[in-house]
Amino acid sequence: MMKIIKVNEDVCVLCHLCEIACIVEHSESKDILKVFKREKPRPIARCAVEEDKPLSFSLMCRHCDDAPCVKACSNGSMHRDERGYVVVDEETCIGCWMCIMVCPYGVIRRDERRQKWNLSTKCNMCPDRDIPACVEVCPNEALVLGDVVECT
Amino acid sequence: MKWMKNLKTYIPGDFVVVRDDNKCIRCKACVEQCSFEANFYDDEEDRVWSWDGHCVGCQRCVYICPTDAIRVEPREEIYRHHENWKIYHIKGIEKRANFGGAPIVSMGTDKEYPIYWDHILLNASQVTNPAIDPLREPMELKTFIGRKPSVLEIKKSKYSKTKIPPQLELEIPIMFSAMSYGAVSKNVIEALGRASEAMATCFNSGEGGLYKEHYKFGNRLIVQVASGRFGVHKDYLNIASAIEIKIGQGAKPGIGGHLPGEKVSKEISETRMMPRGADAISPAPHHDIYSIEDLRQLIYALKEATRYRKPVIVKIAAVHNVAAIASGIARAGADAICIDGFKGGTGASPQVIRDCVGIPLELALASVDTRLREEGIRNEVSLIASGGTRCSTDVIKAIALGADAVYIGTAALVAIGCHLCQQCQRGNCAWGIATQDPFLSKRVNPDIAAEKLINLLKVWSLEIKEMMGAMGINSIESLRGNRLALRGVGLTDTDLNILGILPAGA
Amino acid sequence: MHIVILGNSTVAVAAVEAIRSIDNMENKITVVSNEPFFTYSHPLLPNYLVGEVEEDEEKFSYRRKGFYEQNKLNTILGDAAVFIDKNAKTVELKSGKEIAYDRLIVATGGIPIVPPMEGVNLENVFTFTNLTEVKKFKTALPNIKKCVVVGGGLIGTRLTEKLSIYGVETYLIELLERLVVLALDDYGAGLIRKELEKAGGHIITGDSVKSILGEKKVCGVKLASGKEISCDAVAIAIGVRPNMDIAKNAGLEVGRGGVITDEYMRTSDPNIFSGGDIVETYDLTSNQRRSIPILPIAYAQGEVAGLNILNREVKFKGGFPMNSMKIGGIEFISMGTVNPEKDAEIIERKYDNGDYKKFIIKNNCLSGAIFIGDIEKAGMFNWMIKERFNVKRIKDYFLKEDFGWKYFDRDTRNLRISRQLK
Ligand SMILES: Cc1cc2nc3c(=O)[nH]c(=O)nc-3n(C[C@H](O)[C@H](O)[C@H](O)COP(=O)(O)OP(=O)(O)OC[C@H]3O[C@@H](n4cnc5c(N)ncnc54)[C@H](O)[C@@H]3O)c2cc1C
Ligand code: SF4
Repeated sequence: MMKIIKVNEDVCVLCHLCEIACIVEHSESKDILKVFKREKPRPIARCAVEEDKPLSFSLMCRHCDDAPCVKACSNGSMHRDERGYVVVDEETCIGCWMCIMVCPYGVIRRDERRQKWNLSTKCNMCPDRDIPACVEVCPNEALVLGDVVECT
Repeated sequence: MKWMKNLKTYIPGDFVVVRDDNKCIRCKACVEQCSFEANFYDDEEDRVWSWDGHCVGCQRCVYICPTDAIRVEPREEIYRHHENWKIYHIKGIEKRANFGGAPIVSMGTDKEYPIYWDHILLNASQVTNPAIDPLREPMELKTFIGRKPSVLEIKKSKYSKTKIPPQLELEIPIMFSAMSYGAVSKNVIEALGRASEAMATCFNSGEGGLYKEHYKFGNRLIVQVASGRFGVHKDYLNIASAIEIKIGQGAKPGIGGHLPGEKVSKEISETRMMPRGADAISPAPHHDIYSIEDLRQLIYALKEATRYRKPVIVKIAAVHNVAAIASGIARAGADAICIDGFKGGTGASPQVIRDCVGIPLELALASVDTRLREEGIRNEVSLIASGGTRCSTDVIKAIALGADAVYIGTAALVAIGCHLCQQCQRGNCAWGIATQDPFLSKRVNPDIAAEKLINLLKVWSLEIKEMMGAMGINSIESLRGNRLALRGVGLTDTDLNILGILPAGA
Repeated sequence: MHIVILGNSTVAVAAVEAIRSIDNMENKITVVSNEPFFTYSHPLLPNYLVGEVEEDEEKFSYRRKGFYEQNKLNTILGDAAVFIDKNAKTVELKSGKEIAYDRLIVATGGIPIVPPMEGVNLENVFTFTNLTEVKKFKTALPNIKKCVVVGGGLIGTRLTEKLSIYGVETYLIELLERLVVLALDDYGAGLIRKELEKAGGHIITGDSVKSILGEKKVCGVKLASGKEISCDAVAIAIGVRPNMDIAKNAGLEVGRGGVITDEYMRTSDPNIFSGGDIVETYDLTSNQRRSIPILPIAYAQGEVAGLNILNREVKFKGGFPMNSMKIGGIEFISMGTVNPEKDAEIIERKYDNGDYKKFIIKNNCLSGAIFIGDIEKAGMFNWMIKERFNVKRIKDYFLKEDFGWKYFDRDTRNLRISRQLK
């Protein structure tokens, strides 16, 4: 079964390291110091921490079964990869923000730094890793990989 | 800079936060994590700075910094040397003079008193008796806390005719000592409860009552009745496996407790059965106990309330005439006595009390055990040693000195993140342990904490079995009070005499 | 089973993907289109026109290369369907070919509305809904110096922007007093106008094109106000209507807003399904059945049609208009009914940085929203509209810059985030 990143707000310590790890993972060098000292522009974090103390939690794409973003994409860039996760084809994405318009979780970010076409940026479940970077870095297991228990 | 030194009250702090700016990526994790406001970010300069004076050396920022850019170092002030006037004394006077209050501190004393455990060595079998391999042979750490009958009459059917008084059955001789909800956070108690269940040992509610979510741990719980009688009611007593009357605590013998009103949250006020926001004051004595006879009354009142089904423990601080007091407690009907040494931890204690009242556990334990044996009543009570137990060797030595079981407090907290910064009294523990701040207490994830506690107890148990195996002993019961298993090094004759052990080589 | 799909766009692709996700390639699927192209992205047509993207670029296609082969589709591209015989279950093509079907999906989309006026048949009068037309426009473009765009809706404004930037002197004529009437309010429309003017466009509102002037080729337009504008091209972008003659002629039930289907996207003939710009859709925000010609709805309906052909009993319960657009430096998203009736509650705010948000609430349900600038959380509101979420307790936070799940009650938040609540 496909696993998603489960969010446990009760133990989030608001360190923002998930965002840092995400940036590093999606950078050129994948080296935390190089990314932050040299890489410009830096990747955009695909998870975002919401904060209203004492509440805090990180949220990223839920990889919906019935992903509205995939259906709304104007040219098929938002698609499901072999693993079943919803990912953006960066080559073809034109940044029309149709996905943003429909993502019920509000977890797609705009990357407006490319030469010609904007780019939809969202969690891609770290295709190069077994465990997504944010889950691995989270010091308190506020993010863990887990099965979806879906019901209504 | 956003801060200024207040020179009217300035006393240099104890640490400096050293940040390698080349490695600092401005993620600001250290800023958010420091609950003492020692780190801050200046957006104009785009730099993270530290206000060293606020640093308590808790290491939270060191731990969280993703690039390892931070080190916390001691701030070594070199005052002109004076054998009598140590920096400690100078700063101590300054604090009192500047703030006009007696400093409150926490954890066990950090002063340089002798640690007898480190002067006691264990025996091992060679030739004349065989050592045992704990991985191949059965080994038992099970122990029972409670009054043991002096004779045992057995029926023909092999069942005992003698009625056995209530016992607390422990798979391992290590329990978690009293840490109340109020001193530590809900999540910590949850973790202690889960670990106790997993390891079939017990934890202690402390004097703050039992939060409703923790009633589920009743089978593995000792509830405390202290001088404030907070949260004591029928269900509280009956849910537990044992009841502990707290007379004193090693870190602050003769002193009551004081939980400031601001920490008395809704949950705490419900649990303690007291008004929200009011100071929770535990008087120094129990005002209904001024003698051994009075104590007996309370012991029997509690037994009565729980239909004689649960052992009653009396916890006292290790003080000068501890042996005589223990004898009195045994005679008053207690099923077990907990002796809390002066190195025991606390959530808040006046500094002077923590640092120079009471006596070391090792000596107290040995003298109590000796005294009870001499009086022929050792079987009438179990002894629980507590206060400053740091490792499995401390545990095994305590048992050989005469304890039935050991309580650990600080060691358990260290397992779940405590770095002994000794700021519990401030309530903003950066590790989420000694705090009621809902934002900070999230830092203890009960799942992770319980697992760490279980690991600790498992490893200690294994180490104890290995040491027992080396001595050729396969049951912890045969080690209890077996002082021949111990030898002292670097101790005076008097110490050896009180400890009841031979010097190494003898 | 032989499934025939008339149309090669959003609905067709959605239906194919839905069918292929469950049928193990067991069914035969034939896709028929009058246009001879690989499935392409309609929203990119304005970019294509001015050369920002070319036909052979992957991003111009609606699906990646190999889509037809991977899904084992028979394609008949460049041959229009002209008649459906629902009793014989056959479709006749323009070429004279006849195809038999077991199930048919009619997804012929929309066709541009062209007002009956003098001069619409002149050379250099263009419509803007399909590649065939846009190609003609593109070929003519290098010789066009001055162009009149008729209609200030979403497509008209985008076209005006692109043409102006490209260097064509462009006049946008809108009958009503402001632009993008259906998707924006006065404030938003004002911003769009400013952006278009910044790009060099000339905006004329409250006026309309009466006739197109010229002999063979366009040389100008005459407005209702009497004004004349000389130009060498006219682009008509006043909207689309359902391309449903073929359905009507087949005897399928049709309404004002398009072909009528049930919630399973089945037409009045049980073997014929439909969806997309050709059908009438139930608007959840105005409670009316009407044409809502947008891509997300077309996809959703196509998917439902596909699944129901395989008897999956999936329903399409309704949709509502929504659009995401960028004009000049302004990004906006609008959804639902943004020009409400009087009894609706309106929450709006202009932010210091120029951003703007507006929410329309009726009976504690969100029925429309506009986001300008800060659009990233727009989808959450889309969800609230769709699920008719009771916004009573949350609406006070709508305007917060950091609006997010943190403002929901704990249970809703956690059930949602763990995907346990739809
Ligand atoms: C310029 C432009 C920009 C747009 N931008 C957006 C946008 O930003 N956001 C948005 O949500 N929507 C946008 N849309 C609308 C969106 O493209 C449509 O809602 C969607 O494509 C509808 O899909 P459909 O499959 O119903 O019909 P269409 O996409 O209209 O496809 C109809 C298909 O049927 C074929 N066809 C027509 N007649 C016949 C026939 N007789 N025989 C065989 N085949 C036939 C056509 O060739 C075509 O393949 C835009 C449309 C245009 C034209
Ligand atoms: S981006 Fe949003 S809509 Fe798409 S799969 Fe992720 S959560 Fe769902």
